[in-house]
Amino acid sequence: MDGKALRILAEGEGSYLKVDPDGFRSHTAQKDRRMRSKLMTAAEAIQRYVADGDYVVWEINYLQRGPAALLREIIRQQKRRLWVGGKFTWVAVALLVEAGCCDRADMGFFVGGGAVTRAVLEKRLTIYEYSNLVMTARLRAGAMGVTFIPIRSLGGTDGFKYSGAKLIEDPYTGEPTVIVPALNPDVALIHVHQADEYGNARAFGTNISDIEAALASRKVIISAEEIINTEEFRHKPGLTRIPYYVVDAVVHQPFGAYPGEMPGSYASDTAHVIEVFGAVARDRIKAYLDKWVYSVANEEQLLSQLVGMTKMAELRRRASSVSLEAYRA
Amino acid sequence: MIGKGPWSEATKATSFAEREFQVCVAARLVENGKCYWVAGGGGPMYSVLLAKRLYAPDVIYVAEDGVVGAEPMLPFDPVMTLAAARPSHRAVMWTNMNGIGDQCGVGYLDYGVLNALQIDPYGNINSTWLGSYPVEGRRVNGPGGADTIAAMCRRLVLMTDHQRRKFVPKVDFISSPGYLDGTPGARKRAGLPADTGPYAVVTNWAVLDFDPQSHQMRLRAVAPFVSVEAVIKEMGFKPLLFGGAGDIEVLDPPTEDELRIFRSEMDTRGQFTDTASHWVVWENERWTMVEKEVVSTGVFV
Repeated sequence: MDGKALRILAEGEGSYLKVDPDGFRSHTAQKDRRMRSKLMTAAEAIQRYVADGDYVVWEINYLQRGPAALLREIIRQQKRRLWVGGKFTWVAVALLVEAGCCDRADMGFFVGGGAVTRAVLEKRLTIYEYSNLVMTARLRAGAMGVTFIPIRSLGGTDGFKYSGAKLIEDPYTGEPTVIVPALNPDVALIHVHQADEYGNARAFGTNISDIEAALASRKVIISAEEIINTEEFRHKPGLTRIPYYVVDAVVHQPFGAYPGEMPGSYASDTAHVIEVFGAVARDRIKAYLDKWVYSVANEEQLLSQLVGMTKMAELRRRASSVSLEAYRA
Repeated sequence: MIGKGPWSEATKATSFAEREFQVCVAARLVENGKCYWVAGGGGPMYSVLLAKRLYAPDVIYVAEDGVVGAEPMLPFDPVMTLAAARPSHRAVMWTNMNGIGDQCGVGYLDYGVLNALQIDPYGNINSTWLGSYPVEGRRVNGPGGADTIAAMCRRLVLMTDHQRRKFVPKVDFISSPGYLDGTPGARKRAGLPADTGPYAVVTNWAVLDFDPQSHQMRLRAVAPFVSVEAVIKEMGFKPLLFGGAGDIEVLDPPTEDELRIFRSEMDTRGQFTDTASHWVVWENERWTMVEKEVVSTGVFV
């Protein structure tokens, strides 16, 4: 070398999803830009767009606006060897691991419990260590079409050693700087308030990184509380969070975040949230899955048979009122 | 480092849980006019909310799910203390996780407040694995947003229970950075921003800070119901002592006002303080610590 090579001072030993922005561009080149209906059921969407071995990301499931229904469908269909991106996820990783769906995870945060510990010790699950914001930074890089992104955290931790991060001598300042690989997942699962049949989507309230995930992922599955007319998007285009052409499937899924809440639409089912938290903490996930996932064929049955109209009406009445008003003005 | 304040003159409580004391002390440390990044519910968020009510009206806080400057709808539902409607109520802004990370990156987030599962003399935190990673022991939740908070906020306040198993000579896994190996420039060499790092540790028995030169934890103040010896005995390493003999401050107990607000607005069902918390009462001119069935009298040693 001529002495101008970038100096790598340290690097983590963790595997990371292959970084290939041009490969990703080749994929987006094939996606249909035409406005065509992508409406389908959750079962169809998961069947068509989630393959065994895929890398999957989602938002906070089971707390607020998570794609809870889509995740349950993944478990029902017994997808295998998923690699999951745990950017601020909650109980989903433990549920997926215990259901045998997942063998690699980039973390993040999750509610672990005995099932995850057992899977790690028995080498059924490999965890690569990041943090919530490092994962969202990786998705941001993926959404920019670049190969890595510098960050100012993770350095010096043991997580760094078990990640795909590198410590480099910053070519601009000469100072040590951590870089992490861009992330372009195979699948993003995103639950929103409103979508049209083509995939234009609105989600209200805070979010973790759904916009980045939608742009960065090969296959994007949107589930929506409500399917609205495209004219409404044209009337208030500033509310659109995801443009239709990045989306592959649109699922009309009322209460799709259940038992979590949907800001302005319904409150969380607190008893259920405590039940699933307890099931993970006390290592009783199988019984929970039997009761709430495997006992019904689909989400419509879950709502009609296990949740019921009375509970749904109560949760709608308890919705945070301020949230949606701001957007409906 | 806390010293006297409005709490010194207010009516003192005579019966409280240790964890209530911890939240009150952390609240007194909150600096008015600064922006805090708090990690979810529990002690960190409660101490900032309590401070805002009583001592620091111009304090503002953000949460990693994109909530900026909320006026939360209290009390929270169980476990729904972050990424939920009530904690994000009446915010001035809803952004996303990268949005909060950006604010921290450019330096607007002055303080971070975190719970620590395991902590070492240099303020390094473990929240990933207890035991020998990853072959023996137990997986815990992971750093979540704490790694970024610990790396990039200007000052970091840590909260933990005062127990030997929490204060260890070496953490099993560094999930979030303190002063790393304590050597000068260690954080900079790891790529972290300048002028950042652990500032204080608040437990149910004591307040500790970090020696500016050695970056080692040092004892600054103890609760009125424990001795300095008891505080040190219940740590897995010996902290430095601030100043000379007699320089360790004795903290004021909670005030009636602090407890009224904390109990009626935040910990309304005792869900936060009822677990892993002893009860402390003032009777016969001394503090008595009630430890489940066992009652010990006098200064708890």
